[in-house]
Amino acid sequence: MAILEGRNLRKTYRLSRRNTVEALKGVEISIDQGEMVAIMGPSGSGKSTLMHILGLLHAPDPNHGPAPELRLAGEDMAALSDNARTRIRARRMGFVFQDFNLVPTLTALENVMLACEYAGIGGKQARQAGLEALALVGLEDRASHKPSELSGGEQQRVAVARALVNKPEIILADEPTGNLDSDRSAEVLALLREFNREHGQTIVLVTHDAEVGEACDRVIRMRDGRIRDQGQRAAAVAAPAMATPAAVAAMAGPAVATA
Amino acid sequence: MRLVRDLGRRKLRSALTITGIMIGIMALVVFGSMANKIDALVKGGSTYYKDKVVVSAKGGYMGLGGVLSTKMADQISALDGVDVVVAGVEMLLSDDQSGVSMGTPPMIDGSVADADKGRETFQINYATGRALTEQDEGSNVAVLGSDLARQFNAQVGDTVTLRDVQFKVVGILEPTLTAPDNSAMVPLAAAQQLFMKTLPTLVADKLDVNVIATSLVVYPEPGVDPQKIADEINASISGVTPMTGKDFDQEIGAATSMLNAILIGIGLISLLVGGLSVINTMAMSVAERTREIGIKRAIGASRWRIRREIVIESAVIGLIGGLLGLGLGYVITTLGNDAGRSSATILFDLTFGTAFSSVAFATILGATAGFIPAWHASRLDPVTALRYE
Repeated sequence: MAILEGRNLRKTYRLSRRNTVEALKGVEISIDQGEMVAIMGPSGSGKSTLMHILGLLHAPDPNHGPAPELRLAGEDMAALSDNARTRIRARRMGFVFQDFNLVPTLTALENVMLACEYAGIGGKQARQAGLEALALVGLEDRASHKPSELSGGEQQRVAVARALVNKPEIILADEPTGNLDSDRSAEVLALLREFNREHGQTIVLVTHDAEVGEACDRVIRMRDGRIRDQGQRAAAVAAPAMATPAAVAAMAGPAVATA
Repeated sequence: MRLVRDLGRRKLRSALTITGIMIGIMALVVFGSMANKIDALVKGGSTYYKDKVVVSAKGGYMGLGGVLSTKMADQISALDGVDVVVAGVEMLLSDDQSGVSMGTPPMIDGSVADADKGRETFQINYATGRALTEQDEGSNVAVLGSDLARQFNAQVGDTVTLRDVQFKVVGILEPTLTAPDNSAMVPLAAAQQLFMKTLPTLVADKLDVNVIATSLVVYPEPGVDPQKIADEINASISGVTPMTGKDFDQEIGAATSMLNAILIGIGLISLLVGGLSVINTMAMSVAERTREIGIKRAIGASRWRIRREIVIESAVIGLIGGLLGLGLGYVITTLGNDAGRSSATILFDLTFGTAFSSVAFATILGATAGFIPAWHASRLDPVTALRYE
């Protein structure tokens, strides 16, 4: 079943009056629930733009031809207001970025709890969820450290914890291993892989790294603003959906025990 | 807590901005307290002169200056609509009034107690001791205003020297914030004696000490316009200047409201400068945090939330600056009043209203100043902001 579907996605950026960049030239994409998909392609192929549209950070251009379609769990997302898109980002999506992008003045736990706050969860509940998420990425003992006191790999694991703390329907990761050495890179990738396998977390990631691509269920290849290859779906993508209470309990259970 | 950390991120800049606000609020508090004091003085005068006519010798002013005669009191009493006339003798406590003086100078004020027959409505309360009575005529006793009592360091029962004559203190007034605070009230006969000594011998020889007066306070019958009485006095008696409450308000009120406007203006200008520096600080802060704002927007912070965060932060800058400014202003006004006490010059009256409105104003100013950078921050595109270096 498709969790995220897009059709006729176009995006043109206007850099100056005469200089426009056609970043996406009509893309059709479908991500199944529980899939871990890599989007690969050379620089300027439009993969980041596609990621921004899938993550509702930018809206697709309203086309002259066939209208753009974008559905999350069947709901239309193509023409939402900024506020509505922000709300969905906060409650139903998780983001991991190349530069970790933690708030420097906040501790690891506070960074994770920030995502709870934006999703409308506060107080003890947010603290509990934040600690559980940190435990899942193996950083419960680093909860009160500031980003500057953490290594790059640790920072990215905090970012992963922040992305999954609200049990999102989908996690979008933009070059999540791009700034890490190969050991740390493998660590973060293994972490994402584990969430996908064990909890059925749907993950879409953009990457340059062929090894990362290989570790995913499917690789979508882009070039010049178009998708060249939708990739082969893995035979079996079967795991409980992340958002079910049973999955949540399963996810939290062992982590709390180890903490 | 998070907010304090955000402010602490650029300690020097936050401290400088807070200092800017602090100085502005300090100026507002100090000048505002000064204006309060002047207002209280004027209001006291205005209340005192309401519904009565004060007659001075021509060229004299508010009972100071030329010499009148208590016989004129009888003349005025005979006029239509006049209820009671009280003769009084007023003089400066000391001839040396050099130096700048704010408010009213220390005065000696002599009149026969209860001569007004209950017509005086100006409220005077006694902190200790008693009021003068008619029976005090002939003896050297005095009731001191609160500031004067502090200057003499006098208690009830002590003896004070007024113009080289010893007076026994029988009562001390509570502060009125206006003229009586700086006055010594004595029986009429005693004041007449003191006044005689201030006159050149040649002049004094021709005067009968028992009829000397420097002011005549005329109480109209209920319902009679004091202006009508003043006109009557002008028409029938020469060599005197009658003054009504309206005259007082026009002469003194206009001058003081101008002064107040200048004082408050100075305070407001310093605050405007402080407010601009808050805008500057917050705009810089937003520019520095562009990327952080991008992160927050990307992971689901609404525009409203980003705006709120920045507006609250700048309101807190205003609040801290306001509280520090109030503290500094309090210290300055207190030290100023302590220093002025020895010469019975109380310059400042820091009221709760002034304190509260200054701090509230600083906070609102901070929040308002933060709104422009906040608006800018909330309009940032999350993707662009994330790439910002």
